[in-house]
Amino acid sequence: MTTFWDIIHLLTETPLFFVAIGGLTWGILGGALPGISASITMALVLPFTYTMDPAQAIALLACVYIGAEYGGSIPAILIRTPGTNSSAATVIDGYEMNRQGRAGEALGISLMSGVVGSLFGLAMLILLTEPLSWLALAFTPPSYFGLGILGLSVIASMSGGSLIKGLAAATVGLMIATVGTDPISGVTRFTFDIPDLLGGIEPVLVMVGLFALTELMSQSGSSTVLQLNETIRIKLPSWSMMNKLKRSQTIGCILGLFEGLTPGGGGSIAAFMSYNEAKRWSKTPQLFGKGSEEGVAAPEAANNTVASTALIPLLSFGIPSSNSTAVLLGGLLMHGLIPGPRLFEQSAQVIDSIYVGSFIAIIAQIGVGMIILPACIWLVNRPRAYRAGFIFALILSGIFTLNNSLFDLGIALALGLVGYLMRIAGFPVLPMILGVVLGHMVESSYRRSLVLSGGDHMIFLQDPIAVCLLSIALIFVVFSLSREFRDARKTKIEEAHS
Amino acid sequence: MNKDLISGVVLLAVSGTYYAWSSQIADSTLSDEVGATGLPHVLSIILAILGVLLIARAILLRRARTATAAGTDDDQDAHLPRAIGFLLLGAVYVFVLPFIGYVAGTALLIGAVALYEGAPRNWVVLAAAVGGAVFYWAIFVKLLGVHQPVGSLFQGMF
Repeated sequence: MTTFWDIIHLLTETPLFFVAIGGLTWGILGGALPGISASITMALVLPFTYTMDPAQAIALLACVYIGAEYGGSIPAILIRTPGTNSSAATVIDGYEMNRQGRAGEALGISLMSGVVGSLFGLAMLILLTEPLSWLALAFTPPSYFGLGILGLSVIASMSGGSLIKGLAAATVGLMIATVGTDPISGVTRFTFDIPDLLGGIEPVLVMVGLFALTELMSQSGSSTVLQLNETIRIKLPSWSMMNKLKRSQTIGCILGLFEGLTPGGGGSIAAFMSYNEAKRWSKTPQLFGKGSEEGVAAPEAANNTVASTALIPLLSFGIPSSNSTAVLLGGLLMHGLIPGPRLFEQSAQVIDSIYVGSFIAIIAQIGVGMIILPACIWLVNRPRAYRAGFIFALILSGIFTLNNSLFDLGIALALGLVGYLMRIAGFPVLPMILGVVLGHMVESSYRRSLVLSGGDHMIFLQDPIAVCLLSIALIFVVFSLSREFRDARKTKIEEAHS
Repeated sequence: MNKDLISGVVLLAVSGTYYAWSSQIADSTLSDEVGATGLPHVLSIILAILGVLLIARAILLRRARTATAAGTDDDQDAHLPRAIGFLLLGAVYVFVLPFIGYVAGTALLIGAVALYEGAPRNWVVLAAAVGGAVFYWAIFVKLLGVHQPVGSLFQGMF
């Protein structure tokens, strides 16, 4: 049992404070670089932890994760490029606020919502790690299938006014996800004998192509010049604003907890779901997509919550729920630490260091975030011609970093063109990204389930977790469809009156 | 021609092509009941149905003289050639990178994009291009340890 004095000892006898700040700073910088995901940021620092004390090494990786999850929102708001997968939902209203000259406000809301989510996540991590460990073990292939369908169900409300186009975009996303090696039989699909396609198309390429490159092309082609007010500074939300954001942050925290606990859930699903739910429960849902503060707060609270709660299944059973926690698992194993109940008994200091280091990083996030953010705003305020050149070079450099592959650059450029054409034709890109992100999980878990049941689809109704997740997905879809029909009917009536 | 109508036709074409490609996927003795072609076939059928629905909706709405292009951006449409030109700069970068390497390639990219976007032709463009390339080289190659292409022209110099 860890005592108060153990905590004080950790803070005074080890350089944990500096480890936490260093990890946080590295994480924010890495997360803010488009194309460099949280997992890559962690993987880059992993070799440096080899000679460190195991407790400090794992704490460092956990703090990098926290920093990267927050850092991803910076380019999402400033240049419409999610720095990490889980900050994709922040683009919707964060960038819109930026376009309205409210970049500082959006960044402040993102920062504070991230802190709220991280603190909540850390509290849940400390409280639930051992008691809820059975939940992660209970997940079966049908449960994963239910999880994937739940993630896809939000497409219905993210179709931008045309369900057909939203579904078509999601279908194309699922098609992209089928490229590569078949998850069950191992045969290659749509690879055309190109070795670079054997591993499939990385979701980050699709995100960078559809979000960042499309936006750069759009700014180039558009006569409207994005000019930020030079006086923009980070504006931390006031108490009244925080009070207003309470509901959306709570939604983000709860869904972040749920997704963090769920193996395979991850920050992306949590962010999109919380955005969706925040919109549903908001008093001003019509502002979502048009620069809503709640639209920034909910996904940021969610993905920062996940950064902590995703450690619960990892530390309890060694089940990594995301790429980032897989890297963290690699760090644990590298230091001879085996996750599970014995980790809590034999290496309690490692667990304590994660808790204390994370707490330091979360609190320091406000200060470090404020120091780094002005530099980001300065960068965005440079002349558009130079900024476009620097961002384009940064994006292409980041993409190359993924696999040291020029082919990846070609894929991203092609997807940039696809995104631009989709924008012209009025197709939403978010469903396509969800399709790419969730496609592999949905297909592989569906087929594994049928292998287990001998082809009997009843397996999905016999698994209580799957039934629960599929039911929630069904409720989401029904609600979203009814709202779309209601809105369409309302518009028709208004047109008739006018 | 209506954008939705064109989109529907494109979806049908994509669907047909995807189906044809998926039919060429090799069989495996390790394959399960659904198989490697199962999902691709279902997806191509779904996309075809959505394409037909989009075409039908476009025709019906056209008859009803109702606005059909909700959410589209005509401004984007008009600037398509310029946007493609921007993308081509990236394509040229990818093409020349193996020959001239990361630093020179990145400097060229930054400079070319700046000029394409209307920066005045003066020493600032050159300084920004070279400075930016060196800055990124320091971050990616020196700090992060990423092996960016050296370039066949400069092989052995670094």
